[in-house]
Amino acid sequence: MAIPVIMPKLEMTQETATIIEWLKQEGEEVEKGEPLLVVETDKITVDIESPASGILAGVCAGPADVVPVTEIIAYLLKPGEAAPQEVVSAPTPPSPPPTATPVARRLAATAGLSLGEIAGTGPSNKICKADVERAIAAQSAPPPAKTRATPAARRIARERAVALRTVTGSGPRGRVQAADVLTSTITPERPEQAAEVIPLQGIRRTIAERITDSYQGVPHVYFTMRVDMGEFEKARASLNARMQRAAVPHVSVTVLLVKAVAWALKRHPWLNSTLRGAEIHLLPEINVGIAVALEEGLIVPVVRHADLKGVAEIARRVNELVTRAREGRLTPADVAGGTFTLSNLGPFGIEQFTAIINPPQAAILAVGATRPEATVSPEGQIVIRPVLRMTLAADHRIIDGALAARFLAELREVLENPTLLLW
Amino acid sequence: MREITYSEALREALRQEMRRDEHVFIIGEDVGIYGGAFGVTRGLFEEFGEERVIDTPISELGIAGAITGAALTGMRPVGEIMFMDFMTLASEQLVNQAAKIRFMFGGKATLPFVMRTPAGAGTGAAAQHSQSLENWFVHIPGLKVVMPSTPYDAKGLLIASIRDDNPVIFIEHKLLYRVKGPVPEEPYTIPLGAAEIKREGQDLTIVATSVMVQRSLEAAAQLASEGIEVEVVDPRTLKPLDAEPIIRSVMKTGRVLIVHEACKTGGYGGELAALIAESEAFDYLEAPIVRLAGRDMPIPYNRTLEYHAVPQVENIVAKARELAQGRI
Repeated sequence: MAIPVIMPKLEMTQETATIIEWLKQEGEEVEKGEPLLVVETDKITVDIESPASGILAGVCAGPADVVPVTEIIAYLLKPGEAAPQEVVSAPTPPSPPPTATPVARRLAATAGLSLGEIAGTGPSNKICKADVERAIAAQSAPPPAKTRATPAARRIARERAVALRTVTGSGPRGRVQAADVLTSTITPERPEQAAEVIPLQGIRRTIAERITDSYQGVPHVYFTMRVDMGEFEKARASLNARMQRAAVPHVSVTVLLVKAVAWALKRHPWLNSTLRGAEIHLLPEINVGIAVALEEGLIVPVVRHADLKGVAEIARRVNELVTRAREGRLTPADVAGGTFTLSNLGPFGIEQFTAIINPPQAAILAVGATRPEATVSPEGQIVIRPVLRMTLAADHRIIDGALAARFLAELREVLENPTLLLW
Repeated sequence: MREITYSEALREALRQEMRRDEHVFIIGEDVGIYGGAFGVTRGLFEEFGEERVIDTPISELGIAGAITGAALTGMRPVGEIMFMDFMTLASEQLVNQAAKIRFMFGGKATLPFVMRTPAGAGTGAAAQHSQSLENWFVHIPGLKVVMPSTPYDAKGLLIASIRDDNPVIFIEHKLLYRVKGPVPEEPYTIPLGAAEIKREGQDLTIVATSVMVQRSLEAAAQLASEGIEVEVVDPRTLKPLDAEPIIRSVMKTGRVLIVHEACKTGGYGGELAALIAESEAFDYLEAPIVRLAGRDMPIPYNRTLEYHAVPQVENIVAKARELAQGRI
């Protein structure tokens, strides 16, 4: 008995569908449930599964054909069977129609089930209510519940092409009101996204704890100073010209700042100190830490004995530390023993910022970018000069304002007159 | 403007029309020497005499037949049925004869009469003297049904009804007779088939008739203090009905409460609800159409029970609030 393949009705209001392509060819064997063809309604494109196993035959509609729903578009045959002639006009010789009780017929019709697909268990294999109910339950998805919505909500949803099903109703028994539809058009329909959760661990946890201890436990005091970087930049340029020939790494602002800071620290040992209980320890070494931003957090490798090193050596050391930091190959020794920290956010374009002291140190210098600024010269003229702003954060328990000011003034002096480094 | 009662406004309309047109006369039980059971025709007998203010025996069917016949001969009679309940007795003439004659004679005969009658509970008159039977007549093609809710409307609609060439059932309300309101002294008409927005609002539409218009306005004033702005629409004539203002109002507010005193089942509210549901206002509804009407029971004699048999201000407030707050 040839089994007809009909154009299925996929939506309540659908009248036709367009065939996109047959996934099986005439004469090919198909299994029940295998994708047979692809059709397109005005809303979706969908694979149609084969209603039965058999050989595909009598295909009478091809790609791009618009076919009314429920129309026969092909047959599935058993081996040796022939497709019925006059596919469209001549209905297949009717098999004795399955007998069914009126309620079973109504139920089946409501559920869109063909009685032929239902096995009857009643007297003389009559299909009864229970058979249809079983068949309905066997269908993959139960028909979705109708969305409750006011007529006004439905109208607005229609006008604004909002799927009512996606709208949460605020009315009685969850009924969708007009305002609900309007709100849903304002906010995007996707659910609220949960934040990405990252556990506080490793370097991040260490930073969090140390920063909190420092900020809460150390009374910070801040001092900002402008520096004319003209001479500094000249000196750096001439050093770099030489470095190139000597195949020594580039002298960055940071490198030269480390040298200058070490020079100033040597003259102001209180800035290079630490508070241990009831004692202030003025430290014998000047070890300048450099804040380096890594993906996973901040790390501060240390240039030891910065005051004793030449610029070329500092440049090599900084270059090596930064490279190793970026590669995650810093050793504990590389980050230990710092006595003062330098944080330079100039490369990011930051003009001025404050930093939190890196305990047990007594101070940290936050350096911004060098930018051309209108400046009043000693002669009273407005001139454009390269200007850098640096902000010192100091532990106010051991460093008074005047002391910090003197240190910053001395640092500015050496930055503005780099030849003093020779002093 | 001068303020007079609903009863005085009706009397003024009758007097002015009787002075204007000698074809106008009054006929009913105790309308002459006694001045009417509710005093509406008081003083008219003295002014116009027994030829034009005619007392009849207790025969409602006789009154209805007399005005039907008189109207056919070119008179403009105004009949009075003392209580609307007894319109049942007059129905044969009104429903089977008056309503159909113009149609059956191909428009060659007209019936320019008015049948006035008071409806409604609230006076302790019990089940046989308290009914609101307007929908009995709304149902009959060929009859016009008018239900004024204010003194101003009473005068303008009664004059328009007297001048109309069709049978008009003019339904007054016993509790409205003493209600005062501004009424111009000169004659004026309000067209039959012109609803009126009695109060404007955005949150909810109340369509009410007769005494329920007054109660709805009172309810609206209370609700306004809660921030709920109610629009009150009075159809004024149930037939022909001016549907447009009702539909516009529902399209504006999205919520509608229909209030009438007549029993809910088979009442005019069902007609209004269907009209709204069938109209373009349907797509603007934000809640089911709600009716608040008289209970499906005879009006009890017991005053407490009588009070609870028909909608009161507090019932309107409660139902309107529920509807406006989206709880229905």
